[in-house]
Amino acid sequence: MMGLSHDTVVGFAKSFGLFYLIALSIGICVYVFWPRNRDRFRRAKHSIMDDEDGPLTGEDRQ
Amino acid sequence: MITRFTIAERQASLVLLLLMTLAGLAMAAAGAGDAMGVHGFIVLFASLGLIFVVGGALYDPAPTEDRSRAYYDDPIKVGIVLAMIWAVIAMGVGDWVAWMLAFPDLRFDGAWSGFGRMRPVHTTGIIFGFGGNALIATSFHVMQRTCRARLAGQIAPWFVILGYNLFVVMAVTGYMMGVTQSKEYAEAEWYADIWLVIVWVVYFVLYLRTLARRNEPHIYVANWYYMAFILVVAVLHIVNNLAVPASFTAAKSYSLFSGVQDAMTQWWYGHNAVAFFLTSGFLGMLYYYLPKRANRPIYSYRLSILSFWGITFFYIWVGSHHLHYTALPHWVQTLGMTFSVMLLVPSWASAGNALMTLNGAWHKVRDDATLRFMFVAAVFYGLSTFEGSFLAIRPVNSLSHYTDWTVAHVHAGAMGWVALITFGAIYAAVPMIWRRETMYSWKMVEWHFWLALAGTLIYVFAMWNSGIVQGLMWRTYTEGGTLRYSFLDTMIAMHPYYIARGIGGLLFLAGAVIGFINIWMTIRAVGSDSKVLDVPTESEAGEPAVPVAE
Amino acid sequence: MIGWLKKLYYPIQAGHYRLEKHSIGLTIGIICAAMIGGFVEIAPLFTIDETVEDAPDMRLYTPLEQAGRDIYVREGCYACHSQMIRTLADEVDRYGPYSLAVESKYDHPMLWGSKRTGPDLARLGGKYSDDWHVAHLIDPRAVVPESVMPHYAFLADAPLDTASLPARLTALRRVGVPYSDAMIANADRDAAGQAQPDSDGADGVFDRYGDATQVRRFDGKAGRVTEMDALVAYLQILGKLTDAAHQMETAGMTPETEAAQ
Repeated sequence: MMGLSHDTVVGFAKSFGLFYLIALSIGICVYVFWPRNRDRFRRAKHSIMDDEDGPLTGEDRQ
Repeated sequence: MITRFTIAERQASLVLLLLMTLAGLAMAAAGAGDAMGVHGFIVLFASLGLIFVVGGALYDPAPTEDRSRAYYDDPIKVGIVLAMIWAVIAMGVGDWVAWMLAFPDLRFDGAWSGFGRMRPVHTTGIIFGFGGNALIATSFHVMQRTCRARLAGQIAPWFVILGYNLFVVMAVTGYMMGVTQSKEYAEAEWYADIWLVIVWVVYFVLYLRTLARRNEPHIYVANWYYMAFILVVAVLHIVNNLAVPASFTAAKSYSLFSGVQDAMTQWWYGHNAVAFFLTSGFLGMLYYYLPKRANRPIYSYRLSILSFWGITFFYIWVGSHHLHYTALPHWVQTLGMTFSVMLLVPSWASAGNALMTLNGAWHKVRDDATLRFMFVAAVFYGLSTFEGSFLAIRPVNSLSHYTDWTVAHVHAGAMGWVALITFGAIYAAVPMIWRRETMYSWKMVEWHFWLALAGTLIYVFAMWNSGIVQGLMWRTYTEGGTLRYSFLDTMIAMHPYYIARGIGGLLFLAGAVIGFINIWMTIRAVGSDSKVLDVPTESEAGEPAVPVAE
Repeated sequence: MIGWLKKLYYPIQAGHYRLEKHSIGLTIGIICAAMIGGFVEIAPLFTIDETVEDAPDMRLYTPLEQAGRDIYVREGCYACHSQMIRTLADEVDRYGPYSLAVESKYDHPMLWGSKRTGPDLARLGGKYSDDWHVAHLIDPRAVVPESVMPHYAFLADAPLDTASLPARLTALRRVGVPYSDAMIANADRDAAGQAQPDSDGADGVFDRYGDATQVRRFDGKAGRVTEMDALVAYLQILGKLTDAAHQMETAGMTPETEAAQ
């Protein structure tokens, strides 16, 4: 930790979190609301409702 | 179950078990005279027992069917039964120590039965024994079904389930012998901690390998929550348990951190154990079993992703709210408080998502106690996350901290949310996994539900009262400016609430015992020949989840 | 407008696609979201000397007190007793000056606690006599009828394990407690000496830990050193390793003025 004063580390900790939070929120919101993802999500949401007797294997997939 | 192993796999497990036997022998020899030696014998006998199980079936016919065509449910079955056994043991211990606080002589004479040693037996038994086994078992179930792929590996799932339970056994037997690091929810000593790291790495790799086999393009969100649980718990566990043993032949070790750093590390761990063990993993459960049981897809998939990242990001900052008004720097306390309040948003998004999924299917909630377990769990999740954000506010915390209000909050979460969602998930999973039409008795599920709900409410209201009363008494001044009540006065005021708490706990325990019997009878019932889907059938098909004909 | 957004989004989307396809990506995402925040929050506590105040008079736990502390941990006393007086008026009035970070500087692990089923013990040292502690530990309800504390009568008959003390002090030195070679080499003798004031070992305790060290028969009995000796010695030193908290109170310091300095 040479050269890093306590104040610098505290200052970084205090400000970095805010920017990190904003960046992360924007990225996630964009991903979630991106129109092209709508179908993926819809498919995923309904996929667990279907059942089968066992794992899918090569010939089931097609 | 051994017959599902190929001969080579049986031999490999024997080699592994022999290694463990040797490790146990080494521990028993090196740690002779210390608790570590006792743990060595536990490892030794557990491994020897399994050697007999595997060795006895070594030359049984090898499996002929194509294993890749079937899900691997044997380890899940064992995990669910173990979870229920731990539930009964740890809730029993919990209720016993609760009565001990009302009637302190209600114990054995030995040092092992003192409150200080038994309390971690209760907390570890519930969190790791009951909760952990339920999480591992349901994660294996959810992962295989949502990926439409078989578990990657034949021995690894067994290693995870059995190895994990060996850790829990070492932990709780250790506390009774006075082996503890004193770090709450991380009391187990260094060798047990190292063992858990090994088990956990195998678990993580198993999860990744199964996900990589998936036959679905998208990883269903329940798996995200399970992943966060596995991953973050690993990091938390390793960092918080960093310690230097006084000797490699004895259990005692000293934490790498001291004082304020240790406090921050401990509560960074402590609150994230709540976040990633008791919330993330169980939300994974919720996102699979609730839609499945209600036969309705989750209300908003997008919201589930948003709240996933919100919970994962916000939770990690909030630990310092356990240290308000202490010697921890003021700004760290403020940071913890701020994030705790923000955390309410993703938490309520999750609870709301669950409740909105049920919107329009309230008749199912009314008729099906299994679904009702999950519904009430979601309600308690919403309530206790609100309470958590509220208690993290500094002035509120000045009243609540160190009192039973904290205990009330923890149990609203642990009984109302964690245990109820687990029971709901287990009641949904047991018929699927054992290929039964239904549970043995729907009436017993009803009994369990009402006992659990009544027990939770009595417990939580008793502790709310005692906590707030005690907090207020501690800070009451006379007109002369002196403290009005001695500490002893406040303790005497607690007595009736402690009795009420014992009663609440007893009801909850009774429910769990009924649940265990019901599950056991379901397992023993003859499997039906009719085609059994992996889903509970609709009510008109004779599903007794509907208690009265309409 | 949308086109611009699209360009911005493209790498995010491509990134997130991989993030899901290969669950390793999801792993990294979880680590980024969960871990960075936690480390950023904790990191400053480790660069500091400012978080922990200066207390030149701070002394180390003697081997006997450390052994008592280990018993306190072993019995789970921390489950019901805190050792952290908060900066609240009623706590200061009830228990004494609020706790400073420096006071638990040598506490591996800290025992701040989270629940007060019994009272706070941060400043217990010197509040009661040794006899009171021994009687209370042997039968709490004989001394305080309403108490719900478990009894610890067995401590009075249990000989203290002093043989492992050098190893324990060595481990503590590895994690940062400045025990000297002489302290470690004499740990078992010092532990015995501190509980046997008329023995030769007592002098060594004063030499190594200062003249103010409490040397007496904590369990009230001559002869062998018991776990009761160790636990009472520890309870009697709680809050007395340094005088810094009292000095700060006398100077009229509050947490706010302290932080401003």
